[in-house]
Amino acid sequence: MTETFHEFVVHRSPALSRTAYLLTGDHQLAEDLVQTALARTYRHWRRIRDGDAEAYVRRVMYHQQVSWWRRRRLAERLEAEPTEQAGADHSDTTALRLTLTAALRHLTPRQRAVIVLRYYEDRTEAQVAEMLGCSIGTVKRHAHDAIRRLRTVAPELVDTAAERSTR
Amino acid sequence: MTARLREALRWTAEDVPTYPVYDRALATARRDRRRRLTAAAGALTLLALAGVVVPLTRTPALDPAAAADAALPDHIALPPIGTLHVTDRPRLGPASIVFSGSAPRLHGLNDTNVIGVVAANSDRYRIMRTGREAPAGESVHLSPDGRYLARPDGDQDDPDVDVVDLVTGRTRQLTSTVDGSVGSTPVGWSADGRSLVVRDDVPVAFDGATYTSVLSVVALDGERWTRLAAGAQEARVGSTVAADPGRLAYQYGRTVAVTDLDGRELSSFALPDDTWLAGKGAWRPDGVTLTLAARRSHTTEWTLRQVDPASGRDVGPLRLPAVSGVVAIRLLGWAPDGSALVAAYQPDPLAPDRPLEEQTDPPTTDRRVRSVRVLALTPGATAPRTVLTAPDQVLAVDIADQVIQGGRTRDAQPPGGVGGRFWLWTGLITVLVVAGTVLSVSRQRIALWLDDRRFRRTRRPGG
Repeated sequence: MTETFHEFVVHRSPALSRTAYLLTGDHQLAEDLVQTALARTYRHWRRIRDGDAEAYVRRVMYHQQVSWWRRRRLAERLEAEPTEQAGADHSDTTALRLTLTAALRHLTPRQRAVIVLRYYEDRTEAQVAEMLGCSIGTVKRHAHDAIRRLRTVAPELVDTAAERSTR
Repeated sequence: MTARLREALRWTAEDVPTYPVYDRALATARRDRRRRLTAAAGALTLLALAGVVVPLTRTPALDPAAAADAALPDHIALPPIGTLHVTDRPRLGPASIVFSGSAPRLHGLNDTNVIGVVAANSDRYRIMRTGREAPAGESVHLSPDGRYLARPDGDQDDPDVDVVDLVTGRTRQLTSTVDGSVGSTPVGWSADGRSLVVRDDVPVAFDGATYTSVLSVVALDGERWTRLAAGAQEARVGSTVAADPGRLAYQYGRTVAVTDLDGRELSSFALPDDTWLAGKGAWRPDGVTLTLAARRSHTTEWTLRQVDPASGRDVGPLRLPAVSGVVAIRLLGWAPDGSALVAAYQPDPLAPDRPLEEQTDPPTTDRRVRSVRVLALTPGATAPRTVLTAPDQVLAVDIADQVIQGGRTRDAQPPGGVGGRFWLWTGLITVLVVAGTVLSVSRQRIALWLDDRRFRRTRRPGG
C-alpha cells in the first residue's frame, strides 16, 4: 500500500531530525533543514512516493546544507584551533558528545556530510558518492581530510588507523 | 579505528528530539508553489505584453500588397463602439473610403464629429475625430493614394490643417500663412498628392460678420503656400475642386476657374443654370474636358455633361445614364471601363423643403439627405449601377482616387460587435480591479509573509 506523505513524515521524522542535527550542529538550523527538505519532497511526492522517498529527502538535506553553508560562509569562518575541550567533571557520554559537537564545527559541510553518512549511517563510499552526487574519489578525499582534521581538533574521537577505508 | 567516532555520533543523535515540521513543511511547499505560479504568470504576462507592445512600437512600412489589393467595398457600416482611432496601433495603412454623417456613432462627446475610415484592402475600420462638423469629401479628404487624410483642426485661435499619415500614424500640422485667418479647411488634393488645396476664412470687418474666403494650394514638401483666389464667403470659393496633373479646376459662385499649381489662372468660364462643377473627378481621364453635373429644371434627375475647360463650351453629351430621385450627385472619378463613379445623395422624405435662396447652391450634404450611395454610370447602360451602399444617416463619402482608378470592388463584411478600444479599456479596467481586489484581500497575508521572512533572516546565524 502506498504510504501517504503524512505517514512518511510521522515515521521518518525522528531519523531525519537526528541526521539534520548532525549535519548542522544546531537545533534551529536542523529544524529548518528538515522542514525545507520535506517541503521540497512534498512538491514531488507523487513522483517519488513509490521509490525511495527517504533517500530523496536525505539527498535534499545534504545539498541544502551545503548550499546554506555557501551562503553563510562569508560571515562564518572555520575555527583554525581547537575550541574548548569538554570539561573533566562531565560524564564520559556528555563529554564525548560535546567534544563531537565542537569538533564537527571545524569541518566543511561536505566533510561533515561524508562523516555522517559513513560513520553514523554506515553507508559505503559508493553509496555516499551517489547520495552526494560526486565521485568515490571525492568521497575518499573528503573523508580523509575530515578525519585528519578531527584528529587534530579532537584526537580522542579518532583512532590512529581510522582514516583507512574498511569498505 | 572509528569506533569512538561512531559511538559519539550515535550518542549525540540519540538526544535529538523529533522536530514537529509537518505542518510547516506543507505550508512552505504551498507557499513556494504559489510563488512559482505567480512568477510564471508574471513572466507569461510580460512575454505577452512584450509580444504585443514590441511589434506595436515599430513604425510600419507601407505595405505594397495593400495598395495593390485596394478595392472598393460593396457596402459600409457604422464603426463599432470602441473602434480604434486612425492614429492607434496597429496602423491602418492606406484607406479606400472615408465617410461621415449624422448617425449617433458618427458623433463623439461634446458634439465632436467622427469620420469613419475603411482600409484599402480589408474591412478594418478606424475612426477620426474632428473638432467641428467636417463632411467627408467636403472638408475631410483622402489623398489620391489613400495614405493621407486631411482635416481641419477646428481651432479658431490657431487655425491649422492636419494631415494624418495612415501608415505611420503621425499627424502633420499645416499652419495657415493667410493673414487674419480664423479657419482653414482642406478642400482637395492635387493629382499627385503632393499638394493640398486649402480655403481660409478671413473676417473682413472688425465685428467678424462678413468673411472673405482665400483659396491656396499648399505644397507639402517645404510647406509653401500659393494663393489661388479670394472672394466673398458667400461665393463659396473652392466649394468643389477637381485636380488634373499640373492643373486645378475650382468653382466659386457660378464660375469655374482653371489654374496651374503656381497660382496662374489658365481660364475661367461661367456655369449655365442648374449646372455645377461635377466633383473632385470632374477632369476626364484624358484631361481634355471638364465634367459638369446638370440637374434638369425642377426635377431630381441629374446628368453629367462635358465642357471645354478653356471656354466652358459644351462639347457634347456623355453616353452615361441619368441619375434620378436624388438630392445631388458628386463625381468622384472614373473607373478603367469608362464608368463615372458618383456619390448620389438620397433624399429624406421627411425633410422640409429647401429655402428658395439656397436652391442655387452647389449640391452638398444637408438636412434633406437620408443616406448616400455610390453609383457607377457606365457608358451605354440604361440605368446606374449601385457599387456601394451605406446605412441611413451616413451622409457623405470620399474614395481614394487609386481605388476608383483600380476599378476593383469586393464583397464587404464590416466588423460587428465592439472595437479594439473597448477591449483595451475593458482589459485595463479588469486588470486594475483584479489587482486591487487581490491586494486588498491578501494584504494581511502579505504583511504576515514579510514579517515571517524578516524573522527567519534574523534567526539564521550570519543572516
